[in-house]
Amino acid sequence: MNNNIFKLTASAIAICAAAPVFADALTVYTSLEEEEIAIYLDAAKAAMPDLEIDLLRQSTGKLGARLLAEAGNPQADVIWGWAVTAMMDPQVLELLAPVEIAGTEALGPKFRDPDGRWFAQIGYMGAFCVNTARLADKGLPMPTSWADLAAPEFKDEILMPDPNESGTGYLHVNAVLQALGLEEGWKLLESVDPNMAQYTSSGSKPCKSARTGEYTVGISLAFTAMQSIEEGYPLAMVFPSEGVGYELEASGIMASSDQKDDAKRFLEWTMSDEAIALFREHKALVTVAGGELSETAANAGLPADISTVLAPVDFIESAGRQNEIKAEWREKLGR
Amino acid sequence: MTAASTNATAKRGMRLDSDKVLAAACVAIPLIGLTLFFLYPMATVFLRSITTADGSYGFANYTEVLASKGFWRATQNSMAMGVATTIVSVFLGFIIAHGLHRCAFRGKWMIRGVIVLPLLAPSLVQALGLIFLLGRNGLVSRAIGTEVDIYGFWGLLIANTLYALPQAVMIIGASLVLLDARTYEAAEVMGAKPSRQFRDLTLPAIFFALLNSAFVVFIITITDFGNAAVIGGDYSVLATEIYTQVIGLRNFNMGAVVGIMLLLPTVISYVIERQSMKRQQGRHATNVQRFVPSFYAKRDIPMAAACFAVVAMILAVIGVVIYASFVKLWPYNQSLTFKHFDITLAGGYDSLWITIAISLGAAAGGTFLIFLMALGLRRLSGGISQMVQVLAAMPAAVPGIVLGLAYILTFNSTSTPLYLLYGTAALIGIINFYHYHTQAFLTVMTGFRQFPMALEEAATTLGAGLGRTAVNVIAPFVAPMLVAVFFFLFMRSMVTLSAVVFLTTAKLDVAAVTIMRLDDAGLTSQAAAFSTCVMAVVCLALGGMKLAIILMTWAPQTSKEG
Repeated sequence: MNNNIFKLTASAIAICAAAPVFADALTVYTSLEEEEIAIYLDAAKAAMPDLEIDLLRQSTGKLGARLLAEAGNPQADVIWGWAVTAMMDPQVLELLAPVEIAGTEALGPKFRDPDGRWFAQIGYMGAFCVNTARLADKGLPMPTSWADLAAPEFKDEILMPDPNESGTGYLHVNAVLQALGLEEGWKLLESVDPNMAQYTSSGSKPCKSARTGEYTVGISLAFTAMQSIEEGYPLAMVFPSEGVGYELEASGIMASSDQKDDAKRFLEWTMSDEAIALFREHKALVTVAGGELSETAANAGLPADISTVLAPVDFIESAGRQNEIKAEWREKLGR
Repeated sequence: MTAASTNATAKRGMRLDSDKVLAAACVAIPLIGLTLFFLYPMATVFLRSITTADGSYGFANYTEVLASKGFWRATQNSMAMGVATTIVSVFLGFIIAHGLHRCAFRGKWMIRGVIVLPLLAPSLVQALGLIFLLGRNGLVSRAIGTEVDIYGFWGLLIANTLYALPQAVMIIGASLVLLDARTYEAAEVMGAKPSRQFRDLTLPAIFFALLNSAFVVFIITITDFGNAAVIGGDYSVLATEIYTQVIGLRNFNMGAVVGIMLLLPTVISYVIERQSMKRQQGRHATNVQRFVPSFYAKRDIPMAAACFAVVAMILAVIGVVIYASFVKLWPYNQSLTFKHFDITLAGGYDSLWITIAISLGAAAGGTFLIFLMALGLRRLSGGISQMVQVLAAMPAAVPGIVLGLAYILTFNSTSTPLYLLYGTAALIGIINFYHYHTQAFLTVMTGFRQFPMALEEAATTLGAGLGRTAVNVIAPFVAPMLVAVFFFLFMRSMVTLSAVVFLTTAKLDVAAVTIMRLDDAGLTSQAAAFSTCVMAVVCLALGGMKLAIILMTWAPQTSKEG
């Protein structure tokens, strides 16, 4: 009897408390950059005024930990713009629903899941952030490749994110290994290792440390490099000639979502011509064929045809073997 | 006559019974809180730590962690860093607390104000401040022309000390403030020199506080992640090991293992501390007269110099960040601007106000619960009291990231009605309190230790029940500690990040997370500007509360002294 009353009260409270939570708003988890989010969301709201969106922005790693911790009772409806290598973790894949999103059929097979659980029309790239002021102070030559960084005069002047802690770190290691093959790749990474001042836990930190002149070279992200150059830091963005790593930003719908229609509507909007045009303006990488480079990107030194600098990365392979590579990195270069 | 006296005895008997009930309730209520919001989530984490990859239970994760080289190196580093930080922080903390309470010099208000700054500054501020000052391209390096390299052991030691110092001062101060002036007068009359007074009176009396502060500093140092990530360079510690497992490799179970292992040193050091405390029981004066130090040049001038040197260091670290938040492009374009304060991204200033509400709630609720618990513990028998105390001192041993994930795993499960708390501001307040439970608990306990049992006995003999004794006798006595704990909880709740980062939702953001988002977005100057605003708001709030306290206590105190 007592127990029943308790259950009844508990569920009554649950309903009252839960009601506002499950209102119309669509809960979206993302790792896109704050600045782009603001732009895309404004456009999305203009295009779909009736759709209310609650957005949670966290870095790739933190969002991953959160998604898995919430797996028992997922809170998100949509994952929007999250590193595909993270998305392809089997623990995450099983949280996603196979959905057909109109517009994604135009994407190449490399850029979507055959079962329709994710697709990626956008992506980001790695880059070297080189502080030109410090470079001149130290009388160092401008590096153009990973091999250049192995020169002894770069000792303690380079920062790189730890691939075990940062998705960006893995992006770079993976690009080198896929571009040169495992044997040559590891050899190159090992030759640069003595010059590394630190392996950081954040992907953007190397660039931020380089731009304030703490170090000369930060192996980091093109986005942070372009932003820093725009802000006026004495920084050059360099794409290593071996090939630069890149990562797709994937989207999908959570299997647990009770708003799959709205979720689908939102993701279909991200494949609309309007959205793609916006992406072209702000992203380094758009996987939909055609289009031109934005002015900011061009000014910062992004080549018109990005494919000329990209490393030949196979995402299925890079996601599949990431645990092995990370463990091997720890073995060989971990500090 | 006889009838009357039996009547009185019966009445006292009843009173004693109701006191027992009240004492039990005093311990029970906070204990239920600790069980629900600390033990239960940690049990969930423990379960994860013994869940192997194939889903069965076993200790395979532990053997794997124990077999890895990285773990032992991190353990070694953590221990070395813990010991070094403890020595430096307790030493400096003692100097400052002693300077504040036992020495006579001007400008103490400044020391009091500045010493807590590292607690109310978001972690980003301390990290940026140290790099701007002591980094390879920092002010000091440029001034002396050679590059100082702080990334690694020394930088981490400085950062950890700055963060641990206020907590050490708080705990040591809690014992110094209650030393009886008349004992010292007696010593003075008998011709004991200050050095002798210090050795034979002060040191034994604050031994408990020194041990407690050493314990707290050691534990918070080995669990700290923020400083290690920013300034530790490649000096890997256990907390970064957890970060790698959980955030980098998405391997909760292994992260849980390291999290559970971190509890071991806490329990061990707490047992050691308890053992050495046993010899220290029951030598307290029955009532206490506040000590008002008189000027003694040989002691006070060096003490003041030492205090102000530490204060100058803290001010420099925080000041440079506040200054940098007005600088156009640190360090390349030093012209001043307000533009960084125009924050539109990452939710802007919205999160600031809700954070204040959460922090006030955590501080008020937390202080009350801790007071109840300390009160009840005085009346409890040894065995249970020991266990409760170990439990109450444990939360500091859990890194924020572990606690935060434990909360998701526990409170986002629909199997209990506690699920209703998930995603609410209340849960953020709760995690803030339990994350800093240890420091708050030990501060109040330090104060309670010096509360003379005789005074309490006198109150009981005069017929006051536990309730009245608590309100009229004990509370006024330990009020300074309660206020310190309230402010401590408030300040930490305003800026703490690691635990709450997993509990904010798409609808509910707090200030520390906004700062992290701004910094993540590469907008370091805006993050610094937001931090400056947070510090300003917290300072204003603290000032307002202090003023309110002064106004409230002014009248009764003057009448008492008169």
